[in-house]
Amino acid sequence: MYKYSDIDKKIIASRVKQFENQVNRRIEGRLTEEEFKPLRLMNGLYLQLHAYMLRIAIPYGELSSKQLRKIAFIADKYDRGYGHFTTRQNIQFNWPKLLEVPEILRELSSVEMHAIQTSGNCIRNISSDHLAGLTLNEIEDPRPWCEIIRKWSTFHPEFSFLPRKFKIAVIGCTEDRAAMLVHDIGLRIIKRKNQVGFEIFVGGGQGRTPIIGKKIRDFLPKKDILNYLEAILTTYNQEGRRDNIYKARIKILVRELGIEKFRSLVEENFSKLSNKELEIDDKSIEEIFGFFRLPPLKPNTNQIPSKNNHEYQNWIKQNVIPHKIQGYSIVQISLKAPKKPPGDATSNQMIALAEISEKFSFSEIRVTHEQNLVLPHVSNDELFNLWNQLKIQNLATPNLGLITDTICCPGMDYCALATARSIPISQKISSHFNNYLKQKEIGDLKIKISGCINACGHHHVGNIGILGLDRKGQESYQITLGGSAKEDAAIGEIVGPSFSENDLIDAIEKILDTYKKHKRNKSDDFLSVFRRIGIKEFKKDLYDNFTKKA
Amino acid sequence: MAKKLQGETFLLSANELRSGKVVFFTSTGWSSSSSEAIKIKVDEIEKYEEISIKEEKKCIIISPKFVELDEAGNIRTLRDKIRNSGITIKI
Repeated sequence: MYKYSDIDKKIIASRVKQFENQVNRRIEGRLTEEEFKPLRLMNGLYLQLHAYMLRIAIPYGELSSKQLRKIAFIADKYDRGYGHFTTRQNIQFNWPKLLEVPEILRELSSVEMHAIQTSGNCIRNISSDHLAGLTLNEIEDPRPWCEIIRKWSTFHPEFSFLPRKFKIAVIGCTEDRAAMLVHDIGLRIIKRKNQVGFEIFVGGGQGRTPIIGKKIRDFLPKKDILNYLEAILTTYNQEGRRDNIYKARIKILVRELGIEKFRSLVEENFSKLSNKELEIDDKSIEEIFGFFRLPPLKPNTNQIPSKNNHEYQNWIKQNVIPHKIQGYSIVQISLKAPKKPPGDATSNQMIALAEISEKFSFSEIRVTHEQNLVLPHVSNDELFNLWNQLKIQNLATPNLGLITDTICCPGMDYCALATARSIPISQKISSHFNNYLKQKEIGDLKIKISGCINACGHHHVGNIGILGLDRKGQESYQITLGGSAKEDAAIGEIVGPSFSENDLIDAIEKILDTYKKHKRNKSDDFLSVFRRIGIKEFKKDLYDNFTKKA
Repeated sequence: MAKKLQGETFLLSANELRSGKVVFFTSTGWSSSSSEAIKIKVDEIEKYEEISIKEEKKCIIISPKFVELDEAGNIRTLRDKIRNSGITIKI
């Protein structure tokens, strides 16, 4: 994994000192809140419903055991013993005290972590595929490219005050596990005529105006990526709206100009502004790739232990996938145990997982945008031992990709913007559909829940999306169907009037009844059925049933 | 701060600057307990708005707001109830 250079270390250390000074000036009244707010946001510090919230970057979702231990230490010493993994490969602490935040940042810097680019109108933490570098069908590992973009974007003087926040995701294969198409810029590494380069998408996003990214470039040679990104960002900086926060994202600009016009402006900037200094030579690329080499895995014929234990077998089937090196597996750890808030991990779980990763996975842990964790390199013959240890920590729930593997934002339990709670909805779903066989019968299904229109819970791209609203003081939940965050990305369609919290599970059951009625065979998943029969059938069944019931 | 207020009675609430914790204005200063908070009539809003501005300037609180009470004297909205009582879920 990437190791900080001396320059990186200096940047982070001076940033901590700078923020400490800013906090002191705020406490002493030398900075007003109006002056201080943009400064704290640049360091990932928000004010939420109950307290401050600190968002820490986990660049491209990669963590070492040492870093995870430090996060656990911070959770215990400065927070309430847990952290929340977000939908953009960050972790949030919900209860830090302002005065202690500089200390927390200093602790983080000691393990090469920070909270920069996790808030504000800058280029945010670059996210990626949590299986980067691990699968056979990958054209190239996207993580080095994330790091190259990170180096270019951190404190970029022109792009620190953009019209709005700016999110970039990079993937290295056809499968999109990073929701790349709903990012401001999505980069997919592709191969054309034996040359590796980027396919580039722009103007994707969720929030109150969900849009799937449009392709702006079929192919861009690798060496030009920073110049091209600079051209897109410059065009956005020049043309993006700053007069209306709801129309300030690049997706609105692309929509209003049209992709052709936007492309021509970008290409014009690309030819006008491109400079040699931003071109990446092969030596620099090689150097960065050096940080992301696989650990010394030797191909072997080790088999996955076969045990007469249903729970273990279910976990193997559901959560374990083959590694590109024969004899190894990738283990996906669900943070969606029954009755637990999705994405939350306690400090005890983090400490245990740090030890487990050292024992079983070369001290590496990955964080997924679906709020789960990954142990990337586990020897097949160790899987039963690993499962036993994960089970002790309540980290062996076999539900990856199933109905209880919900994505969920913090909602009104924590968030100052939320219009309804979302975690209790996720917990109701996980209790109601707890039975593994029932989940398997339903098959692959993504439920995504947001507590407001800002869509941090990605409801727009859920196969079933749930949006919490406030209807005259009552929590109410609007359902969308048919969304997808994968390579076949789609924005879900609103099925009809919203439901109360009490009626929501019944509504989901009715939707599943319609799906089961039209399912042709085992591999005919929810999304396929939805795309085949359309929303009308679901709508009719859902609301007819509720009318009859009433 | 008082522009969109509805209702007749309110509490003055804020977050403590240093800790971020939720506090309510009482006759003896700020307290984390809403039960001790002063009940403010709608025609007294301006007076308490001035108090909150002064308290902000003294760097004691941030993000002051009025919390609406219902006819029975209970906090009206779910958001304010959660803000007062804490998260509704088990960790």
